[in-house]
Amino acid sequence: MLSDLKYRLRALFRRSAMERDLEDELRFHLEREVEKHMRAGFTRSEAERRARIEFGGLEQIREETRAVRGVARLEALLQDVRYGWRGVKSRPGFAAAVVLTLGLGIGANTAMFGVLDRLLLRPPAFLSEPDDVHRVYWSYMWDGGVRMERNFAYTRYLDIERSVSSFDETAAFAYPRLAVGRGANSREMTVAAVSASFFDLFPAPAALGRFFTPEEDALPAGRNVAVLAHGFWQSAYGGRTSVLGEELYAGDVVYTIIGVAPKGFVGMPSSESPVVFVPITTYGHARRPEFAQNYNWSWLEILVRRRADVPVEAATADLGVAFAASWEAERQDYTSMSDAATARLSATLSPVHFARGPDAGPEGRIALWVMGVACIVLLIAAANVINLLLARALGRRREIALRLALGVSRPRLVQQLMIETLLLALLGGAAGLVIATWSGGVLRGFFLRAEDIGAVATDGRTLLFAGLLTLAVALLTGLAPALQALRADVAGTLKGARDGGYRAARIRAGLLLLQAALSVVLLVGAGLFVRSLLNVRSHDLGYDVAPVVLVNATVRGVPLSDDQRSTLADRMLEAAGTVPGVSSVSLRASVPFYSEEGRGAPVVAGRDSLNLLGRYTLQAGSPSYFETIGTDILRGRSFTRADGAASMPVMVISEGMAHAIWPGQNAIGRQLRLGNDSTAWTVIGIAENIDARDIGGDPEFWYYMPIEQHKAAFGGDVRPALLVRVAGEGRDYVAALRDRLQREMPGEAYVTVTPFAEIIQRQQRSWRVGATMFVSFAVLALVLAAIGLYSVIAYAVAQRTREIGVRIALGARTGRVMLMIAAQGLAFALSGIIVGGAAALFAGRWIEPLLFSASAVDPLVYASVAFLLLLISLAATLRPALRATRVSPTIALRSD
Amino acid sequence: MTDRLDLPQGTLDLLILKSLSLGAMHGWAISERIHDVSAAALQVPQGSLYPALHRLERRGWISAEWGSSDNNRRAKYYELTRAGRKQLAKELADWEQLTAAVALVLRMA
Repeated sequence: MLSDLKYRLRALFRRSAMERDLEDELRFHLEREVEKHMRAGFTRSEAERRARIEFGGLEQIREETRAVRGVARLEALLQDVRYGWRGVKSRPGFAAAVVLTLGLGIGANTAMFGVLDRLLLRPPAFLSEPDDVHRVYWSYMWDGGVRMERNFAYTRYLDIERSVSSFDETAAFAYPRLAVGRGANSREMTVAAVSASFFDLFPAPAALGRFFTPEEDALPAGRNVAVLAHGFWQSAYGGRTSVLGEELYAGDVVYTIIGVAPKGFVGMPSSESPVVFVPITTYGHARRPEFAQNYNWSWLEILVRRRADVPVEAATADLGVAFAASWEAERQDYTSMSDAATARLSATLSPVHFARGPDAGPEGRIALWVMGVACIVLLIAAANVINLLLARALGRRREIALRLALGVSRPRLVQQLMIETLLLALLGGAAGLVIATWSGGVLRGFFLRAEDIGAVATDGRTLLFAGLLTLAVALLTGLAPALQALRADVAGTLKGARDGGYRAARIRAGLLLLQAALSVVLLVGAGLFVRSLLNVRSHDLGYDVAPVVLVNATVRGVPLSDDQRSTLADRMLEAAGTVPGVSSVSLRASVPFYSEEGRGAPVVAGRDSLNLLGRYTLQAGSPSYFETIGTDILRGRSFTRADGAASMPVMVISEGMAHAIWPGQNAIGRQLRLGNDSTAWTVIGIAENIDARDIGGDPEFWYYMPIEQHKAAFGGDVRPALLVRVAGEGRDYVAALRDRLQREMPGEAYVTVTPFAEIIQRQQRSWRVGATMFVSFAVLALVLAAIGLYSVIAYAVAQRTREIGVRIALGARTGRVMLMIAAQGLAFALSGIIVGGAAALFAGRWIEPLLFSASAVDPLVYASVAFLLLLISLAATLRPALRATRVSPTIALRSD
Repeated sequence: MTDRLDLPQGTLDLLILKSLSLGAMHGWAISERIHDVSAAALQVPQGSLYPALHRLERRGWISAEWGSSDNNRRAKYYELTRAGRKQLAKELADWEQLTAAVALVLRMA
């Protein structure tokens, strides 16, 4: 075996030496034979003749000996590669067109695959046996609807950890944003509060030091130890190994650094990579010392590793039982809760990917759609390349016929043509990787969370995908031209026959129709998404976004009493008002799409089960609240400075809430109570509905009260949190507001300022992404299809030069000739519109759920697409048509 | 001149191996030896020797080395390898068995 391999390698790489050896050997043999015959008395020429006859055909012997070497096929292949490469190099323009076209198609797909892979397929780094690991969800009836949640109280986590036997591992994690560092150097960063068991799910040794142990993550308060993330260790500590034992101030706790996590370890991917990992009990205790005693605070997520021998259904059932017991335990404290059966409590074990979980956003679905779109673009690109290759094959008919006549076998010829296509495809794949790397950052920015955006497009999996895609494209595009060559009519072509392109012409027409139809589908998709985005943008949320800024103060270091916090809030209110450009400021309890205070359903005399009508959100603000956020009072009045702590409790309610509780009646002057509180609130005004959880969804129930009265009724403090309205765009005031308000902060407290637009845009993201992606891919598809149409029509004109010449010679007017050519292009466009339109109507059903109050059969969209395609096809045929009119009859008729 | 026999399929390898069992030889010498020993009865086209030699070399049964022949010309000498000797013994045994069996059948029939 080994000698065989050595021999073959020598044959392959020392080919010329072996050839020389063979020549020498054969010559030696013949010389000896000639000498022998001469010794027997023959003349030299007779001796040579005899020797040759005895020996046999020299060339045949050489061929047979070479064949014995076992590398003949490989040599032929190498030869074909060299031949193909010469073919590619000899027509750089043609090669560039093919490579660029394929590069765009492959690049788009590779980039999208990179996104999809991270969104839906690839497990978090270092997670072992990810198929057995699940995110835990539960759902139950609440306020008349089903609530699906993945945030749990620590007590609930303990209940699960202790009682479910189907899990090998149960871990808890929360990724709060906390101030890390001291004084002016402190920044808000994501901190991972995790249970010690969390690291067991990601078995990787610490890069430095160690992870924390169950003893360090134990009740009641954990230990103050921290493990740095590798990136933060590099950026903030320069990768110093002496960092172990140093102190790190994060949130309200001073931690001792005991280790550094391995490079790339982020735990569970979240919106931002954590900079440090701390025991979840330490963090929990610092936030709320009683965190492990009750179920009030749902703040962590649960990750479990299912035992390999337990199927998902059984584990889910097991978890369901544990949840029911935990629910009943909570009911001991809150007797008003319904029992587990009535609440229709149910557990879900979902994959670790958030985008595959039950509360995933539309990113995953939209990414899948965009991947499909990218595939269509690749198909269009491939159709173009097939067209180009077919045209080229027609141009090479004589060459191919000649080669066949010279005895090249047809399989070998197909191999040669396929190899040439493969070379082009490989170059296209390389171009695609460049394009994917270049555009990948943009794409990932649309779909992925921060830490994945930084990742390069060209990792192993994506490279493999690009490679396979390239091979598939080579096969797809190379087959038709190669088969075309197989059917070559050798004799006819060599004699100069000009027909035979008929079948190819049919294939090309079919491809053109396919391109036009696919372009129409993509353009319709793009049109629908653009309409949808416009609808979202113009949708009235019930408040203003652009000029509003959120301000939040986080107090730490010095503990403040409730009164001190309220004073801080007042000082902030006053200070913010002095910043130039600020027109109005209000305190607040809730923010749409961001945070909300809920106190359950109101209690109204004579009305039962108001909780079944929907979910109620409490807002408390200054008298300037409605002016600041821009929500209109429809009837009655807003609260004023006169509605203070000591005066009659008043409330403004949203129109939807008024309509639900007092349908058809005037709500103003009615009274309602909240929960167990005895305060009776009088409705003084009706505010317009707002969208706070779901853009364009059902009316949501909000009620507004003066913040002074909120404090009087429920006690506690006034939160140092503001809404600020500015003249112009909120983001232009972030720095000024932060500078001014930070001066009011006591001790280590710090202020964060966020433009409201940032929060709302996150909600509109999926529509924006859909519109951007569809439009860019549709434009790409349209350009490719136009190039395809142009090249086919131009080619047809070139083919028909003689016929056109005859027509002109016989007196056809130029207008008529132009029309004849243009009609060809328009015919393709029209059939494309019909076929593509039908396909789009059919596919529209699935896309409609992704649209925002836009219909998938929007006639305006379809009409614009049809118009655009006709316009583009006219433009694509214009040049060839003009050239046709300039055909000179004398030259055309003389040309062979 | 007596009638010459065409070589049965596969026997050329055996003849080459057998010839080489006497010591290293170049191609022409092997050809001459087969011709002489068989009293010119076996028809071996001289050229067909070379594909066979190269095949045997690739299989590792013989090795080749350039040396100088009697009148100081460069010639390629072939030599049995250890594997080649084993192969020769095996092929010889097979051959004996085959011819004996064929002879037996011919005699009985």
